[in-house]
Amino acid sequence: MLNAEAWRPTVIRAPLSAISGRAPDPFERLFLLEYPKVVAIAYRVLADRPAAEDIAQEVFLKFHRSFNPDSERASGWLHAAAVHSALNVIRGERRRAQRETAHALDRSLTAGSDPEHLVEAAEQRREIRRALSRLPERSAAILMLRYSGLSYAEVAVAVGIKVTNVGTLLRRAEEALRKEVNRATSE
Amino acid sequence: MRHLNDGTLRRIYDEPLAMTAADQAHFDGCVECKARFNGIADEARTTATLLSVPAFDPNPGAALASVRARIKRDEAARPSRWYQRWIDRNTPRLRPMATPAVAVLLAAVLISGVAVTGVAGQLVRVFQPRQIVAVQVSPSGVPSNLRLDYGQVKWLPEAPNPQQVADPVTAHALSGLPVLMPGSLPTGVSGPVSYAVVPHATGSLTFDAARLSASAAKAGVRVKPMPAAINGSTLVVSGGPALLEAWGLSGAQGQTQFPTLVIAQTRVPTVDSTGATTAQLEDYLLSQPGVPPDLAAQVKAIKDPSTTLPIPIPKGFATTENKVVNGVHYLVIKAALGAGVVWIKNGVIYAVGGQLTSDQVLAIATSLH
Repeated sequence: MLNAEAWRPTVIRAPLSAISGRAPDPFERLFLLEYPKVVAIAYRVLADRPAAEDIAQEVFLKFHRSFNPDSERASGWLHAAAVHSALNVIRGERRRAQRETAHALDRSLTAGSDPEHLVEAAEQRREIRRALSRLPERSAAILMLRYSGLSYAEVAVAVGIKVTNVGTLLRRAEEALRKEVNRATSE
Repeated sequence: MRHLNDGTLRRIYDEPLAMTAADQAHFDGCVECKARFNGIADEARTTATLLSVPAFDPNPGAALASVRARIKRDEAARPSRWYQRWIDRNTPRLRPMATPAVAVLLAAVLISGVAVTGVAGQLVRVFQPRQIVAVQVSPSGVPSNLRLDYGQVKWLPEAPNPQQVADPVTAHALSGLPVLMPGSLPTGVSGPVSYAVVPHATGSLTFDAARLSASAAKAGVRVKPMPAAINGSTLVVSGGPALLEAWGLSGAQGQTQFPTLVIAQTRVPTVDSTGATTAQLEDYLLSQPGVPPDLAAQVKAIKDPSTTLPIPIPKGFATTENKVVNGVHYLVIKAALGAGVVWIKNGVIYAVGGQLTSDQVLAIATSLH
């Protein structure tokens, strides 16, 4: 049975003073503002906390090497990079099963829970991600960006479409995902 | 009214406030749209369940520290560029940066070409706080006493200073540039000819936000915060050599002299940046105090600033005209005291100017050999 945990990510705004006493530079400001969203996107795709954190940090490193943190397009680039990087991982993943099962049994996640149930839940998430990896790239990206908590306007910027088209494409992506999941479970 | 499409209904589920008044009115009275909406909402809830993941509270502070450490490692591992190694080997004198580096360094190149013409005084003063653009500038719009320190300046081996030489053979040997002669000299221009060579020089500016802030505070002006991409980055400007030939400088001692004719040439300068892009530098420097908005707009209108050489024209003191002769584009500058012409050919910038008419300087320019 699928669990029904809340899908919206918890967005943490770290106090700037927690980093240091000095005023943050533009990259730091951008990082503290966008990191929760970027890691939430990667986590929504991968359902794997350490892997999501790795992806998010890689995305910011790439950004730092090439782009101006003051750019108006910074957020859109980060969101797009996060979702595509994470989708690339699930498409190329070969050893996800072992890692996710082990992760499900991690002490931090299993505290007070039934290990058997968590293994089952991890297996279900793995099935969903396999279905997701078979969707067209843009459909999968729109789906994951929206279900990571981004607004329609943010999804539109990240994917490069009009905001008025997000609803239609999201709806099609949801239908496509459901069909893929049904196909996989009926096989 | 037509029924709402699936996309609009899907958005209503997530962002009900985004619905237009007309859509809302239709939706409120349409049983069919409401039924479709309920189906779409069910699918959205199912998808949310499918895509659910265990709760996870990220720690941006720890992640930032990790990313910072990796950036530092990357930078340490990257080999320095040749000119950085060169800079490190030399210990040139330092001096504070009075104006944006690009303006100053390109000014040196341009001034070396036209400084001794009648309009040189205007050009020097007007151009000093400007960027790398060929534009009309208003002398009254430029604060002459605004001095901002953008960072550390180094010259390799030293700031370029014109060196007077005795004869054309030495001038050619020192500059590596051919000594040019006009086909004929207009009335009023006569020898002997004076020669000067400006050696090739390389200068660097390392932007420093703290120094800029301090100088801005001292000058009592507000500056836009220096972007991270610029702060700490270095511009390396390579210019020259340049060769100047001047007629009419053999007057009596102690008398202020203006040459009747100057022919100048210099290899096209190059500017390398260790990090900041042309667009970033342009955006930032043009927003600084002392840059009039109309000038900023003209600079931004240049399609490709990285390959466009700017020629500052003092508004009200000079006018310009473009001429094409034998496929070469000449910028003809007319001023009250004289005229000049500037062009670029085969990687060399040429300038001819003097107490002459625009037709005379253009005739000289097209007859050089």
